[in-house]
Amino acid sequence: MKPKTKGAKAAAPAKKAARHRLRLFVAGNEPNSELARRNLAQLITGVLKDNCELEIVDVLQDFKTALALNVLVTPALVVDSAGTRVTIFGTLTDTHKVLAALRLPSAVA
Amino acid sequence: MKKRALILGPVAASIKATPIPKVSTGICGLDEILEGGLPNGRTTLAGGGPGSGKTVLGLEFLYRGARAGQPGLFVSLEERAAAVRQNALALGWDLAALEKAGKLVLLDPRLPAEAVVSGDFSLKGFLAILHGQVRALRARRIVIDAVDVLTRVFDDPKRERNEIYALHEWLDEHQLTAILTVKLGEETEPSLRHGFLDFMADCVLRLDQRVTGQVTTRRLRVIKYRGSGFGRNEYPYLIGPGGTSFVPISKVELAHQPLGGRFSSGQSRLDELLGGGFLRAACILVAGTSGTGKTTLAASFARAACARGEKVLYLSFEESESALVGCMLSPGLDLRPALRARKLQIQSVLPEAVGAEEHLLRACQTIAEFAPDHLVLDAISACRRMGSEQTAFDYLTRLVNMCKQRGITCLLVNQTAGLQEQQEITGIGFSSLVDAVLLLRFEEQERTMHRALLVMKARGSNHSHQYHRFRITGHGIEILENGDAGLPERRLA
Repeated sequence: MKPKTKGAKAAAPAKKAARHRLRLFVAGNEPNSELARRNLAQLITGVLKDNCELEIVDVLQDFKTALALNVLVTPALVVDSAGTRVTIFGTLTDTHKVLAALRLPSAVA
Repeated sequence: MKKRALILGPVAASIKATPIPKVSTGICGLDEILEGGLPNGRTTLAGGGPGSGKTVLGLEFLYRGARAGQPGLFVSLEERAAAVRQNALALGWDLAALEKAGKLVLLDPRLPAEAVVSGDFSLKGFLAILHGQVRALRARRIVIDAVDVLTRVFDDPKRERNEIYALHEWLDEHQLTAILTVKLGEETEPSLRHGFLDFMADCVLRLDQRVTGQVTTRRLRVIKYRGSGFGRNEYPYLIGPGGTSFVPISKVELAHQPLGGRFSSGQSRLDELLGGGFLRAACILVAGTSGTGKTTLAASFARAACARGEKVLYLSFEESESALVGCMLSPGLDLRPALRARKLQIQSVLPEAVGAEEHLLRACQTIAEFAPDHLVLDAISACRRMGSEQTAFDYLTRLVNMCKQRGITCLLVNQTAGLQEQQEITGIGFSSLVDAVLLLRFEEQERTMHRALLVMKARGSNHSHQYHRFRITGHGIEILENGDAGLPERRLA
């Protein structure tokens, strides 16, 4: 499952108060950004079980959000959960690291 | 690929060197060193250790540009924007006003210190931020302080290089005149240390700060400048109120003003011995041992000039202004009216208080503001205390050269130490710059010391070659006719 996020923002269905707020910063559709999109989509449907709110920010169209959140590299995932913020740089290929950052057990990988 | 190397036209019939377009930095003295300024639309690298003034240099480039109507973007990756503003205020620059006027933007993005890395990434986010800001501001200039912070996240020399290269490409594409600062030192990232950045940039500046003889000086050197000549020496500079100032460069070509008309030394008999007085724009050296009356002669010279309505800058390295003025009251040389009339300016500094460059810069600034006709320097022997013999030599030659270029008469006082006076007279080895030499000394006769004066050299003048006795009276210096000696030395009025 791959949410087609053309342009700036697209939110995944959030039933109740989502546990994680995810913001993925991409630079258009360059390969690394595409890879990050795909990897994140898998994580959301798999481990996170849609228990999150996702926003995709294309820095080529919205640099202000990137500046506000100090996102200087792409792709980058900013995760806000329970008052803490974690920034993950890269394509999110290393699932173990991503899950550790989200404080989730790395059951599937 | 970029197309910006030298393009030789198909009709190379008359090969004429076209200088590359440059942007004036507006920084005092730097454009001279860079033969016009930084390369327009290209990247300059300013590398240096801690405290070498890289940030100030970059900021001043933007500040001067913004005031001249060229908007600029300052990307501070180390200091907070508020701190940058505050530091700028200490130099007298109101950045906030320029920001409000839309001429300057300060950005202070931070790379999260504890970011998790998972997979590959690039600086595209950073470039997107720059792109957005540059477009909104219509920026022409950009400074990234310091670029090594950006590469810290990559942990791989090859990727660091690629990202820096991408940044350079981006800057080039947008034709921004850029200064990238980079910290140089032990802990510099390996990829930056190995000169990659130097190869990439079109112009490379090195700044450093060093201590010699307990005096700190800052120096700049241009390592390379594609498509342009540049001054190849090390240039001392100062950071003070107003910004960075470079010491005027010692030019190869001499542009001295010719010696001008005669004017009085302040003592009519001395004028006769000199063959009609001193010549304008000359460099006059008054040498002698302690107590022979050098300062009295200098004060007499200054007072006479001021009385004619001319301006004198008196650089005193031996005495404070009040001590000098007080001492000169005894031989009847009241300098106070000249001071009040703002014809005389006394600048009194301890030689060891600051470095030679700062002394020189202060003198330059005063000369530029006050525009004196004459300069008295009391005494060149004290200049050694600015550092070394070489420092004193550099200081004096630069100062005298500058005065000669502006047609300012210099009267230099040199205290010699007794026996070696013949060799030491002209002071620290720049006798070719000296146009006239007066030697003052004591002569012993019948258990009495007498003061005697000799015009050793006076270029372009038919001068006396004899020692002439003189005394310091309550109304200045009195030169005796040869033969009428033996009178009491001092007659107070």
